Amino acid sequence: MENMDNNQRPFEPYEIQMGPQHPATHGVLKLDLELDGETVIGCKPTVGFLHRGVEKLSENLTYAQALPLTDRLDYIASMANNVVYSNAVETLLGIEVPERAKFIRTMVMEMARITGHLLWLATHALDIGAMTVFLYCFREREQLLDLFEEVCGARLTTTYTCIGGVRQDVTGHFLETLYKFTEEFPSRVREYETLIDQNRIWLKRTQGVGIVSKEDAVSLGLTGPSLRASGVDYDVRKHLPFDAYSEVEFEVPIGKKGDVYDRYRCRMEELLQSNRIIKQCIEKLPPGPIRADDSPDLVMPFSKKCVTADATFKSGVIKLVEDRKHYMEGDVYVSGECPKGELGFYFVSDGKGRPYRMHIRSPSYIHIGALPFLCKGQMVADVIAIIGSLDVVLGECDR
Amino acid sequence: MEIRYKTKKGFLENILLLEILKGLGLTLKRLFSKSVTIQYPRERKPLFPGFRGKHALIRDLSTGDAKCVACMRCASVCPSRCITIRFERDDETNARRLTRYEIDALRCIFCGYCEEVCPVNAIVLTEEYEYSDYTRAPFLFDKERLLENWDEFLKKNHLEEKRYLNPFMRPRGISLKELPSGKRIDVPKEWTLEGQVIWRNGKAESVSAKEISREE
Repeated sequence: MENMDNNQRPFEPYEIQMGPQHPATHGVLKLDLELDGETVIGCKPTVGFLHRGVEKLSENLTYAQALPLTDRLDYIASMANNVVYSNAVETLLGIEVPERAKFIRTMVMEMARITGHLLWLATHALDIGAMTVFLYCFREREQLLDLFEEVCGARLTTTYTCIGGVRQDVTGHFLETLYKFTEEFPSRVREYETLIDQNRIWLKRTQGVGIVSKEDAVSLGLTGPSLRASGVDYDVRKHLPFDAYSEVEFEVPIGKKGDVYDRYRCRMEELLQSNRIIKQCIEKLPPGPIRADDSPDLVMPFSKKCVTADATFKSGVIKLVEDRKHYMEGDVYVSGECPKGELGFYFVSDGKGRPYRMHIRSPSYIHIGALPFLCKGQMVADVIAIIGSLDVVLGECDR
Repeated sequence: MEIRYKTKKGFLENILLLEILKGLGLTLKRLFSKSVTIQYPRERKPLFPGFRGKHALIRDLSTGDAKCVACMRCASVCPSRCITIRFERDDETNARRLTRYEIDALRCIFCGYCEEVCPVNAIVLTEEYEYSDYTRAPFLFDKERLLENWDEFLKKNHLEEKRYLNPFMRPRGISLKELPSGKRIDVPKEWTLEGQVIWRNGKAESVSAKEISREE
């Protein structure tokens, strides 16, 4: 007791380790928290527990072979990664994707956004203590995963796009099921809102927690819904439209305060906007080819026009046409709006069929970098809410 | 578009716990609706054609052996390099003869590139996903094992070889001229480029070949 009187504090600041085996860190994120009582005064994230060396691996693979690796980045919405990666390689090759493939890509990317946001909502609510939402969200997510299975043969590791288009056309059953889904989905979103939107426990756990101002959000490099919740109107789909985004109508939800509740509201609005985009894509889907004429062969990393077979039957030698440029030399950076934020691929190309260097600008990695700023001065229990609201996926962060 | 929300509660709402009662009411309502749960080992969800599951080499009915011509396309396209192929030359015809075909299923990432590039539709990823085991050895599929997988798959699903169709045997929506002759098989009209579907009058409809050429 004597000690307490002297410095007015029962405890010295102390450190605890949160993770990597912690259910609320959404994977293998480790946080070294420095605490004063229950208040966080310092936070040091440690990442890299899920490092697989995707960037280095891809240097030894052709562009088409590296595409399945992008499934494993943000593994809860892998369609979106596929689309952005293919867009980047197509820029390098100078291929224009056919109109139908563009609409299909936009459609599957928005489906990926809904699956991503639904899993985010489910786990975020579960972290904060709302169990029921989890079950409701997975009901709808399941429907979309079934549709992924129908169109490409896998539920999570989709590998759906190919360079120059998509691998398989959509079927009538797919379109009809998806259209039915889009018609009933807004009522499902209202169900989630009934459960948590006005719930007083939810409001107390989320409002006024983890506030990021407009300026801070920009300087921390936040993207996606986390940035927009702070009131910055920035969306790659609107400001640098790729695929068919310039041909569909949608709005970008912007938040006011930038706290956890605003980030939640932004994502809920995005669910409805994505639903709107899917509906328009189905209605506007044009007929036509799904792969560009000069899209590269899977085995030979060059387009078919670049290759000539030798005339002799026995030798079977395949030659490259010399005068045609295969891959552009130089650097290219192409980004797209993924569920988590802006995912970018940066290639250094030496004109061969493999990337000389590939860098992935993954939103999760940068969002984790913002954690120390966000957690300072908050309670330990709020750290969980903040991690959840940033929507990090460690597969993408550690890549 | 700025998001709008109202979180301030009135006095009555506050003391009557209205929002919590609404949530509980929703749960109560769902109690009487149809369950979406599938009791897995007893019930199974039907898979869609083209699900990328257990590997198999299709048995050629005329020879009883694998269809594979040892062109090495699957081995060279495989991103995880899990396919090993060895072949020898026939002395008389100089044709390639398959001597070894191995797939390490534990290395495989199930991207489906091998079945897509196969010019004779010899390899296929079947719609079979329950093949766990306690050791690593059963997952090194050699040629005999892969052919067995195919027989087992046909038997289990009561299929004949001619009737089995996989979207990777002839990718949907790819024109005939882009495919090697072995992949130009008969498929349902919806899978072809000519019969591709668009949304019209509130339902998915096949579009006629004329319209495609006009669009171009």
